[in-house]
Amino acid sequence: MPQFPDAVSNQNMTNWFLGSFDTHIPWWFILVVIKAVAAFAILVVLTLFNIWYERRVVSFMQMRIGPNRVGPQGLLQSLADGVKLALKEDIVPTNADKPVFWIAPLLSAIPAFLAIAVIPWGPAVSIFGHWTTLQLVDLPVGVLYVLAISSIGIYGIVLAGWSSGSTYPLLGALRSSAQMISYEVAMGLSFAGVFLYAGTMSPSGIVNAQQHGWYFYMLPLSAIIYIIAMVGETNRAPFDLPEAEGELVGGFHTEYSSLKFALFFLAEYINLVTVSALAVTMFFGGWRAPVPISLWSGANSGWYPMLWFMIKLLIFVFVFIWLRGTLPRLRYDQFMAFGWKVLIPVSVLWLLVVALFRQLRNAGDLDRAHAVPIGIGIAAVFLLLVVALEVRERNQIRRTPPPTVPDYEPLAGGFPVPPMPGQSAPAVPRRPQFARTAAAPAPALNGTTAEEASTR
Amino acid sequence: MGQLVERTAGVGAGLATEDMILNIGPQHPSTHGVLRLRLVLDGERIVSAEPIVGYMHRGAEKLFEVRDYRQIIMLANRHDWLSAFCNELGVVLAAERMLGMELPVRASWARTMLAELNRVLNHLMFLGSYPLELGAITPIFYAFREREDLQKVMEEISGGRMHFMFNRVGGLKDDLPAGWLDRARRTIHAVRGRLADIENLIHGNEIFRARTEGVGVLTTEQIAAYGLSGPIARAGGVDFDLRRDEPYLAYGELGDVLRVVTRKAGDCFSRFDCLLEQTRVSLDLAEACADRLAALPQGPINLRLPKVLKVPEGETYAWTENPLGINGYYLVSRGEKTPWRLKLRSASFNNIQVLGELLPGHLVADMVAILGSMFFVVGDIDK
Amino acid sequence: MNVTTASVQFTGSAQSYLSPTGVEVAFILIGLVVLGSALLVVTVRNLVHAALWLVVCLGGIAGEYLLLGAELVAWVQILIYVGAIVVLLLFGLVLTRAPIGHTDELDVKHRAPAVVVAAGAAGVLVTVVVDAYRKVWLEPRAAVPLGTGAANGAALFKYWVLPFETLSVLLLAALVGAIVISRRGADGDSDEPESVGTD
Repeated sequence: MPQFPDAVSNQNMTNWFLGSFDTHIPWWFILVVIKAVAAFAILVVLTLFNIWYERRVVSFMQMRIGPNRVGPQGLLQSLADGVKLALKEDIVPTNADKPVFWIAPLLSAIPAFLAIAVIPWGPAVSIFGHWTTLQLVDLPVGVLYVLAISSIGIYGIVLAGWSSGSTYPLLGALRSSAQMISYEVAMGLSFAGVFLYAGTMSPSGIVNAQQHGWYFYMLPLSAIIYIIAMVGETNRAPFDLPEAEGELVGGFHTEYSSLKFALFFLAEYINLVTVSALAVTMFFGGWRAPVPISLWSGANSGWYPMLWFMIKLLIFVFVFIWLRGTLPRLRYDQFMAFGWKVLIPVSVLWLLVVALFRQLRNAGDLDRAHAVPIGIGIAAVFLLLVVALEVRERNQIRRTPPPTVPDYEPLAGGFPVPPMPGQSAPAVPRRPQFARTAAAPAPALNGTTAEEASTR
Repeated sequence: MGQLVERTAGVGAGLATEDMILNIGPQHPSTHGVLRLRLVLDGERIVSAEPIVGYMHRGAEKLFEVRDYRQIIMLANRHDWLSAFCNELGVVLAAERMLGMELPVRASWARTMLAELNRVLNHLMFLGSYPLELGAITPIFYAFREREDLQKVMEEISGGRMHFMFNRVGGLKDDLPAGWLDRARRTIHAVRGRLADIENLIHGNEIFRARTEGVGVLTTEQIAAYGLSGPIARAGGVDFDLRRDEPYLAYGELGDVLRVVTRKAGDCFSRFDCLLEQTRVSLDLAEACADRLAALPQGPINLRLPKVLKVPEGETYAWTENPLGINGYYLVSRGEKTPWRLKLRSASFNNIQVLGELLPGHLVADMVAILGSMFFVVGDIDK
Repeated sequence: MNVTTASVQFTGSAQSYLSPTGVEVAFILIGLVVLGSALLVVTVRNLVHAALWLVVCLGGIAGEYLLLGAELVAWVQILIYVGAIVVLLLFGLVLTRAPIGHTDELDVKHRAPAVVVAAGAAGVLVTVVVDAYRKVWLEPRAAVPLGTGAANGAALFKYWVLPFETLSVLLLAALVGAIVISRRGADGDSDEPESVGTD
């Protein structure tokens, strides 16, 4: 680590918001502008890359080749598609609520860009001789900021669905609003454990706190819950219910075309990067080098951390793609039940355990000798609880009768009902022979007569 | 579902939750073409459903009446484009029966084999597309790899990949090419081996199970009342298979290989399971036919026909166990070279009628699962 | 974070409102936006548009919090009010298929009494707040330490813990009430998986 105190940026930016009311343009302002433009550029390029990445990886999983024509290995395919999309006719349905129809894609795309601002991409580096962290703003409540901003992104989807004035988008909007609210709760709860351990809500602080161990293995359950919730939050398979193409055609963006559609597409892929970046920051050490590399002393200084961060990010994106290539889509009510009945209770319980542990440790009652048996005990109880819940859930599924279909009445519509086959006898009653034509007998087949065959 | 209306009393009557009418199709990804379903929804729950058919009506039955028997085969193989060979079969069986033809032994076995290969092709389509409808995008490519190999086999013998046109009244168009049987057997082996890939990919998947088990349950009574047939009926516990119960072609001699696959539950999962297992059985049957064909002595594979093929006066009903269910042709002839009437009983038409009773009470997402599991071909519905 | 570095000064007259600072100008401008959008919420005829103006209103208030240096509260305001409550409202509206265009039923007869009640409530609140903080000068930059998570947490769980807990009991009661209302009339199918409409 270079001898760079965090305070340098803090002194100059006591408050990022109020600071912007200063009248002179200080050097850090220029740096912020550079970083902002860089973050924007990285996001856009990453989007183009990720679309290609997804298509190629999924192709590989499906024994296909995927895009390989435009540019080396097809890398420019997404760019070409984007240009093509922009040149398409922009269709606005007659029934649409025009201003809202127009605002919705913007409301979806802009928060997606904003959320990346607090993610630390690396430690302090030197740009034009000035030391600065690779992070746009270091908010003391940065994680809260990400949650808040991503919750605004929901508006894009809900309003797009409503303002299209069409049924499929409306259903998509309905699904996505319920889905995102539910999963944001689980997401927030999974972060609470990290806050308790790190003692801060600032992303850079959390990365610093992971110096001696990533939260991925210190808070495994939080990490798992977050990873599930983040897939739900980004509307990606297997939780892509708002845009389930088999059911709702395109969901909320069914009626969108041209650049407006492109904005939704952009927002989806940027959100993918954002939640992955957040996962890396919160649970996987942020820009810190993974274990074998971190033994090298220079691994966590200079520009290298950005590389580690990108690698971790792309691994997460790969996981997203992997999920999409593997899993079928959940049903809406199953998905909500999973969120409310499994994820949220489990994370609340887990939070209790974490809090207990922290308190014991803070109070000093917990030395290493006690910690291990207590930890194992708590883990066992917790596991039992989870298993019991799961078993109960499964039993309930088994016990619940199939969905009610209207009672069948044999003569309800005045239709005569044929004798019921398969009820007592395994085979249906059948005619003694099947030759019924007046003109010719049935072609006898190789010694097996019809009678023989039918008595079998 | 009226209780919601009174519960959301608030600003005014116009804000109560209304039932929403949702038209699924005629252009919708889950209807495989142009089936249309008119759903009345309360939230996402289906209150009532009405299948509206006929968008692809091509008047096949009327066209049959102005075509001679050679041309009818071509027309008949098109209504269900996933089981072209089996469709042809019904027509030629009816005509042969009316003509009193004795089919050459080799033709009968070859037809059986091709029909079973066609069944595998058809079922593979389902095994790929059904998970796709539930959001799993990968299995279809595995299914299509198998289809591709089998289509190569079929293409080699008939020249067609979908519409084989290989049946003739009195046999098959040509004899089997030299070495074809071995190549077909190798392909069957390969496909059977790789079928496990598809199964591992989706069959045990928790989400897939959750989406399909207990969803869209068909009772035996419903199956009987609506005249459902084929794998859909067998998945609901109706043990009925024409190949066993009224054997045609060489099925009568394949009794030890032919297992009729049935399931009890009648839900979407059992339909999938049934079709998956039936694919294996069909592969076994095709292999048994290949073995038998190799053992048979040389002989003709078709009969010489007169230039003008006139079917004697009379009527007959030829039904076959098509991949989708019972496919029947009621042939009435007045001794002309064209049929006086050729009524087509297609499996899908009957199978989807039950949707109006099956869908209410389910969610929109279940609708997709059920629709997919009913395994219909729109051409087979609309004819 | 040291809370005792008080930035809230009790002064008689030292500060002047003339020649306002940038922060003050921004505060007033945002305040006007909040006020305007609040009026639009109750006057606009389109339900969804009204909800959207509510978003602007609540977002503006979050902006005011930021200007006052209360960063935590600002983001919580956005997260809870903008991100959850209004989305829930929209969810309800979409569920009832809020029509695109004007809804005439929004013209209610008790409009005049509603205005009176609203004005009265606003009057009381403004008077109380103005009176309570008449002699307080808040320097936003210095107030930043007061707006941190640590400071808020300390205040909430040390000095205001009783009101906080009382409020949570109120929320619990509301939760139970909501369950009771939604359960009414659904006795028959209480074991069924519930559809979107019924929960």
